[in-house]
Amino acid sequence: MNALDLLLSLSALMLLAAFLFGQTRVYPWLAGILFTGQLVLLAGSDLPMAAGVGLEIFGQQVGWQLDGFGRYFALITIGAALASNVYMGGEWGERYQADGHSLRWLHAALAGNVLAMLLLLSSKDLIAFFIGWELTSWAGFLLMAQGGERALRAALRYVPYAMGGAMAVLGGLVLTLSWTGTLDLLELSRVMSTLGNGQLALLLALFAIGFSIKMGLLPFHLWQAPAYAEAAGPGTAFLGAISARMGLFALGILLVKLMTLSRVADLAFIDGLFTARDLLAWVAALTIVLPTFTALKQNDARYLLAWHGIGQGGYMLLGIVMGDATGSAGGLLHVFNYATYQAALVLAVFAVMHRTGTADLNSLGGLVTRMPLTFLVMLLGIIGLAGLPPMNGFVSKWLVYRSLMVEGRPLLFLMTVIGTLGTILSVYKLIHNTFLGQLRAEHEHIREAPWSMTVPMLALVILAFVTGVAPGLALSWVAEAQAALGLPVLAYTLGGIESPRGSLDMLWIVGVLFAGFGIGALLFYGAGGRSKRVHQLDNYAGGHFLSADVRYHYSDHFYAGLMHRIGPLYRGSFTWLESAVASATDLAASLMQAWYRQAVPALTLLVAAVLGLGWMVWR
Amino acid sequence: MMHILIELAVMPLVAFTIGMFMVLMMRKIAAKIQRRVGPPLLQPLYDIVKLYAKKTQSSHGLLHDIGIVMAVGGYIAAETMLPVPGMNGIADKAGLLTLAYVTMIPSLGLALGVGQCANPNGSIGIARALTAMLAYDIPFVVIIFGASWFYGSNNLIEVIAAQQAGGIASWGVTKMPLLAIAGLFTLYAMLGKQPFEIYVAPAEIATGPMVEMGGKHLGGLFVMQCFQLFTASAVYVSMFLGGGENWLFFILKLFAVVAIPMSMAFVFPRYRTEDVLAVVWRWPMVLGLAGVWLVMH
Repeated sequence: MNALDLLLSLSALMLLAAFLFGQTRVYPWLAGILFTGQLVLLAGSDLPMAAGVGLEIFGQQVGWQLDGFGRYFALITIGAALASNVYMGGEWGERYQADGHSLRWLHAALAGNVLAMLLLLSSKDLIAFFIGWELTSWAGFLLMAQGGERALRAALRYVPYAMGGAMAVLGGLVLTLSWTGTLDLLELSRVMSTLGNGQLALLLALFAIGFSIKMGLLPFHLWQAPAYAEAAGPGTAFLGAISARMGLFALGILLVKLMTLSRVADLAFIDGLFTARDLLAWVAALTIVLPTFTALKQNDARYLLAWHGIGQGGYMLLGIVMGDATGSAGGLLHVFNYATYQAALVLAVFAVMHRTGTADLNSLGGLVTRMPLTFLVMLLGIIGLAGLPPMNGFVSKWLVYRSLMVEGRPLLFLMTVIGTLGTILSVYKLIHNTFLGQLRAEHEHIREAPWSMTVPMLALVILAFVTGVAPGLALSWVAEAQAALGLPVLAYTLGGIESPRGSLDMLWIVGVLFAGFGIGALLFYGAGGRSKRVHQLDNYAGGHFLSADVRYHYSDHFYAGLMHRIGPLYRGSFTWLESAVASATDLAASLMQAWYRQAVPALTLLVAAVLGLGWMVWR
Repeated sequence: MMHILIELAVMPLVAFTIGMFMVLMMRKIAAKIQRRVGPPLLQPLYDIVKLYAKKTQSSHGLLHDIGIVMAVGGYIAAETMLPVPGMNGIADKAGLLTLAYVTMIPSLGLALGVGQCANPNGSIGIARALTAMLAYDIPFVVIIFGASWFYGSNNLIEVIAAQQAGGIASWGVTKMPLLAIAGLFTLYAMLGKQPFEIYVAPAEIATGPMVEMGGKHLGGLFVMQCFQLFTASAVYVSMFLGGGENWLFFILKLFAVVAIPMSMAFVFPRYRTEDVLAVVWRWPMVLGLAGVWLVMH
């Protein structure tokens, strides 16, 4: 048994174990050990890792092999699953069960997702890929549907999207086979780019639609935020961290490995002015901006983060579509970076929910004194999500910005920065409304979340900090992924990149930043009079005396002035589009049904049979 | 190594000292416009010493203090990335874009500190300050893009060297006049004085972020303001006015850059938040994009 066989077997074993005794206290420990074992196995194995077993379906070889690109995503997948597993292994899981939910199914859904994703990431041909793709979709649905009525309803909205996407991918697969005669990915990487422009454009459209749905790219993004936000806590963290990135993985293979970016750039809508590659870049840029500003309007912390998750995907795709060493490294690095702080943020929000029972940003406030560790996690997490130094989110976004600057794309660059600025506004609202401001009287006796919840959150933000200070640690995996995909490989250092046109050395930057904080602290605490701690209610209130029963936490309609200006731009166009498509489909289905059921079924059957026979004879 | 450590220590000190005199100049300009005498030479220093030495020092919690530490510390770090005559600090390791993002850290610190004070006026002030940041940073990054594209580098040392190589004819302001005008407009908005002082607004929100600040906390914000004035003007001088050939010219340029918007500021009333957005997204934005187009064609 070789390494990939062992990896997949361990994953399958875990799925079985979760089904058998996922509700017990032993399972999280076993799963923790197995996930850690998988991580060690993945990190320590030589590439490519080929599976010993294979199948033959309709004369096509089906096999599995993991290269540097797949391994990069696999590491993030298992890491996210490990953090989620630890989180739900303690008090959170006990409460979940006590509330009448099935912990066994939740563990099984998580293990199922990991297995499905590993199968997808190591697929060697399009059949294995399609099997992995479908398993990932359905396992994802299973994880989304855990957590009650609202979760199920949100997950069901995903089903038509997933089925539509699957049909598009299947259509692309069939056309690929009929035009190239092969489904092997290595073989396709040689022949697909030689197809004619029309054929390539059709394949691109079919595959890209399918993959974009999973990734939540505009305009196929509406399902994602509710489906992820309403899932059970650690499930939301896992889904948010990595699940949607399977779409990015598939797009990476399609655009870079199979079609090549230069061929995609040949597919011009307006000769020399706007190509399919530009279209993808603009879809990515709009995916950054629009969902970010939708997040800004959310009043539920889970939804706010889920909408940001959609927006952050845009940076990743934009980096890859830029195709140069810097941009693609930025896009790929952002997958890892985003997974670390997004998982931490989601877990922090669910820790607050665990203690207070709500994620409503108008019903919280002042929790910093009650849950300081969770606050620290959220603080470091939002600095990462906003893309500011010293966290890792800054580095990956910086690489994307730099690529856009060097390649001379001012408008795309502007879009990425607008996204970042919008994120800063949004995440400040998140931390302010949750942890800052007035502590509500009913939260006076709240305690910090238990260790089973704080440890995984802290581990994730420490990882996000360390890879922010020394991005070279994560860039080594990224470079391997770039090489496997056939992208130019970034020349990196431990602290970032060195270039006469503008370097980035995070070791120095963070060093100086913390030295600055040190001097700031020395000035504050060392100089001047001693400060006296006063009660929260002892503040300027225009001559009034405040008491705990007076609510004065400024939370609702937080950016009122901004909304005066940009409010009219929120038109709900995508929701309108979604309902229009749903109505049109409904109408078409009713017409078909009316035709088949009422307008002489025997005649319909006869006509269909004759046409079918005629087509077969003609062929 | 010793050389760079000395630079790292001296650069923030110089920035603070210059910034303090900028505050003095600002007050003097206001006084002249209002036909007052204005403060004496060392008034900014007296103010800082007074605030730090005050007997009553109230803190609303650890984060209130840490916010001030971050606000001052973040700028101390930022100054080491901004080349001044004879000293480059770590400007070669962190370009213009990094500097722009590092200067957001003090704002984040301030926002956290204010949030901890649990005063709605403070929170409204921060919401407005962040909105103002969204307003002016969008044209600002367009300008950064244009300048970086023109000089072929994001590294401020290179940008300054390229301008100094050919005298005034090769300064950014001569080569990219539209971007320079847009830059000055953006700098004006960035300094947060009238008519852009929506987040202080004493009559509406009781000085916003400063409402709960007194003693050392307010003293820290005073220091932050000195750094902010220096940083904004030094970035502008480095991008458009050839940086500092020597200290005399550098200081003259810095003071001139701050003096222009300040001479206009004190005759204005205050905008509403949505009007700040409208005006900043219109004029510097249109000029900036036109400037980028010209630079790229």
